[in-house]
Amino acid sequence: MNSLRPTWERAVVSADSSQALVGGLSVDGLEVSYAGVPAVRGIGLEVPAGHAIGLIGPNGAGKSSALLGIMGAVPRSGSVRVAGQDVDGLSPEQVVRRGVSLVPEGRHVFTGLSVRDNLRLGGVGRRAKEGYTETLEYVLELFPILAEFNNRQAGLLSGGQQQQLAIGRALMADPDILMLDEPSLGLSPTAVDSVFDALNAIRSAGKAVLVVEQRAEFTVAFCEKTYVLHDGEITLELKPEDADNVEKLTEAYFG
Amino acid sequence: MNQLVQSLVDAISAGATLGLAALSIGLVFGVIRLANFAAGEIITASGYSIIFTWQLGWYVAIPIAIIIGVILSLLMELGVFSRMRTATPATLLVASFGLSFLLQRVYELLFTNNVQTAAVAPELARTISVGGIRFQLLSLATIVIAGVILFALIQFLNKSIWGLQLQAAAADFRTARLVGIPASRVIGLSFALSGILAAAVAFVTTVQTGAVGPTFGVPIVILALIGAVIGGIDKISGALAGGFLVGFATSMLASWLPSDMSNFRDAYVFLLVIVVLIFRPSGLLVRGGTVRT
Repeated sequence: MNSLRPTWERAVVSADSSQALVGGLSVDGLEVSYAGVPAVRGIGLEVPAGHAIGLIGPNGAGKSSALLGIMGAVPRSGSVRVAGQDVDGLSPEQVVRRGVSLVPEGRHVFTGLSVRDNLRLGGVGRRAKEGYTETLEYVLELFPILAEFNNRQAGLLSGGQQQQLAIGRALMADPDILMLDEPSLGLSPTAVDSVFDALNAIRSAGKAVLVVEQRAEFTVAFCEKTYVLHDGEITLELKPEDADNVEKLTEAYFG
Repeated sequence: MNQLVQSLVDAISAGATLGLAALSIGLVFGVIRLANFAAGEIITASGYSIIFTWQLGWYVAIPIAIIIGVILSLLMELGVFSRMRTATPATLLVASFGLSFLLQRVYELLFTNNVQTAAVAPELARTISVGGIRFQLLSLATIVIAGVILFALIQFLNKSIWGLQLQAAAADFRTARLVGIPASRVIGLSFALSGILAAAVAFVTTVQTGAVGPTFGVPIVILALIGAVIGGIDKISGALAGGFLVGFATSMLASWLPSDMSNFRDAYVFLLVIVVLIFRPSGLLVRGGTVRT
């Protein structure tokens, strides 16, 4: 079991969220539905640069749909702005080029390809070709295991290593906003710790982080703000200091 | 002994040809789940082109055949399949049938129902003797051509960033897009490569037959599709291996079946296909029992 009170040093780039939003994500009235059945019902949230925002909730609450909606991978309505610019109507690959990367649920590394080739593919979504080597160095420094297993087939890595690769691949696009869908799913407690240590470093580097998780206490403690999503709607907003009472709070709310 | 070696070389050559044709189908299927029956008409178009331009020299005829294969393949994507992105694989297959029949009628209108003939690379039609065993030069040439194309393709797929993008899209199209790989680019690339492979198949088959009619590519694509399915159309290597196997088996049966049974050669091949699909419904090279949906 992971500690309920992680002791990450918070490195907030700017307390002034309007300034931090320059490189951040702003979502307003986001709706996603499948064959007429609504999965996300008009949620709004802001993820400033240098901040981590959490999205928790039960299965089927619409968390993954919200992330896919932001990426333009599923039909959506509502406004999604990246660094102040509208990304409505853009395809997922265009959204990546605007500076948003998603680490999908279940990691989805390209198992038949090597670690190196997975990282190379992550670089395809870069806005600028310059700086590729620096980004690669940054990723390999963040996840030294990827340097060690550079030539290994990604399918042969452990779950935790694959998660590191999936995050590394997303970072290769040099995003301003990194979104992660259940990064702790199926990982050992040690692997979860190292993933969240890396996320903390990424946040400290000034990137905006939006993380969807099942581990409520963990997420609430890690993020500057965590939204509880229920039946497609944001029903509760939690701060790190609520981490000890998450169960009590959500129970009180949902009965 | 001599006969066995000769028939083995012929069978490897036939397998190589169908392997390339199945790969042509498998590359596109991997990316957009389209089993393109109209790939046969790309082979036909390149075949016509070789027949009509051979007199200008191979160095003109072969590049033109490749260009025509690539252009027709890309036109199919732009004109038909790109407009059906949300269609199911079954709908796409039916559309490709329609396109195939339409193009066959167009070829009839343009070039009549009669076959067009030319002596394409007649020097490859002779036999040579190696160590006392006689081989058809074309069989050896086909194996070499297929080997070179495969080597180049594997290098391209594994070393170039474009090839890696194609592999990623074939493995997991949705994730590929989330990583930032442009869908239209990889789809176009798969159709272009499919066109090049179809032109290569057209070349070796045209040398063999010296004649091209409106349905020239149909029997090839039927066997290639069957091969791709039994090998595992879901994987590029599966399609290649399955195509090879069907070509190999067909050729061996032609060589070794008693003459009064050789009319039933295709029946034996299809029997083999049925047996394979009963025991390995997802194909020989696909692990597990289900095809990815």
